[in-house]
Amino acid sequence: MLLAYRLPREPSTPRIAVWRKLRRLGGAQLLDGLVALPLDSRNREQLEWLAGEIIEAHGQATLWVGELASRAQERELVARMATTVASEYAALIADAEHALEQAPGSRRRSLARLRRELRRIRGRDYFPPPERERAQRAIDALAQVVEEVAP
Amino acid sequence: MKWATRAHCHVDRAACAWLIRRFLDPDAEFVFVDDPDEIPDDATPFDIAAVELSHHSGECSFEAFLRQFDLADPVLWDIAQIVHEADLADERYDAPEAAGLDVLLRGLSMIRGDDDLLSLAAPLFDGLYEYRKRAILLGREPS
Repeated sequence: MLLAYRLPREPSTPRIAVWRKLRRLGGAQLLDGLVALPLDSRNREQLEWLAGEIIEAHGQATLWVGELASRAQERELVARMATTVASEYAALIADAEHALEQAPGSRRRSLARLRRELRRIRGRDYFPPPERERAQRAIDALAQVVEEVAP
Repeated sequence: MKWATRAHCHVDRAACAWLIRRFLDPDAEFVFVDDPDEIPDDATPFDIAAVELSHHSGECSFEAFLRQFDLADPVLWDIAQIVHEADLADERYDAPEAAGLDVLLRGLSMIRGDDDLLSLAAPLFDGLYEYRKRAILLGREPS
């Protein structure tokens, strides 16, 4: 599924809102104004609304259903999307390890925050890299420590 | 009155249909279309791209209904935040109920057709309305 769009430079608010939403969905930016997402009913609907939002903000947007011409290109795109979420998981793992050193109160708050973050990343993880499992284990380890010091 | 929306309803359309039957048109008749071209001439379309009662300025269709029909009930606006997050998950609002509502309706839509989904979702939204109403009156979560 491809979204081809163009938005005026100014005002910047709708540009940023669209960029944030695409990032949350895990879209792969192919070119400036061309974003790819795996085709499923959720992504299709979300991109349809986003296209409408872009047009309301005086931009242009079209939605395409496409496929790459070669398997190699497809593998490359999949690998690229997996690498992006892998780095997000890696940052989360580092945060979880760092949180182990915190005082019990902030450790508990970190756990809640990191669980939400893990859920967000999993929502845009279409081609799970090994880091997904590692991130889950890092959160579980943190949860165990939080549990152990609970009164 | 006749109302038309896209087939294979999820949370936003189910919430809108509930709102229509409870607050706007108790005898509402719903038509589900696969393509906007199939909307009957005598039906009011909602949650379909480029119609009035749909997503605008980053808001979901439920919010569009509240604005369009001047429904100022704070309980409905409270539910609107939950529906918004269940539908769009853009974290505009803090609505922890949204994730649960999303899963419940997504699951229902896997085992039932649209008419059934709307009938099953109605008491769910009635209950949500009652709960949020009590929460607002009490100033805390009701037990």
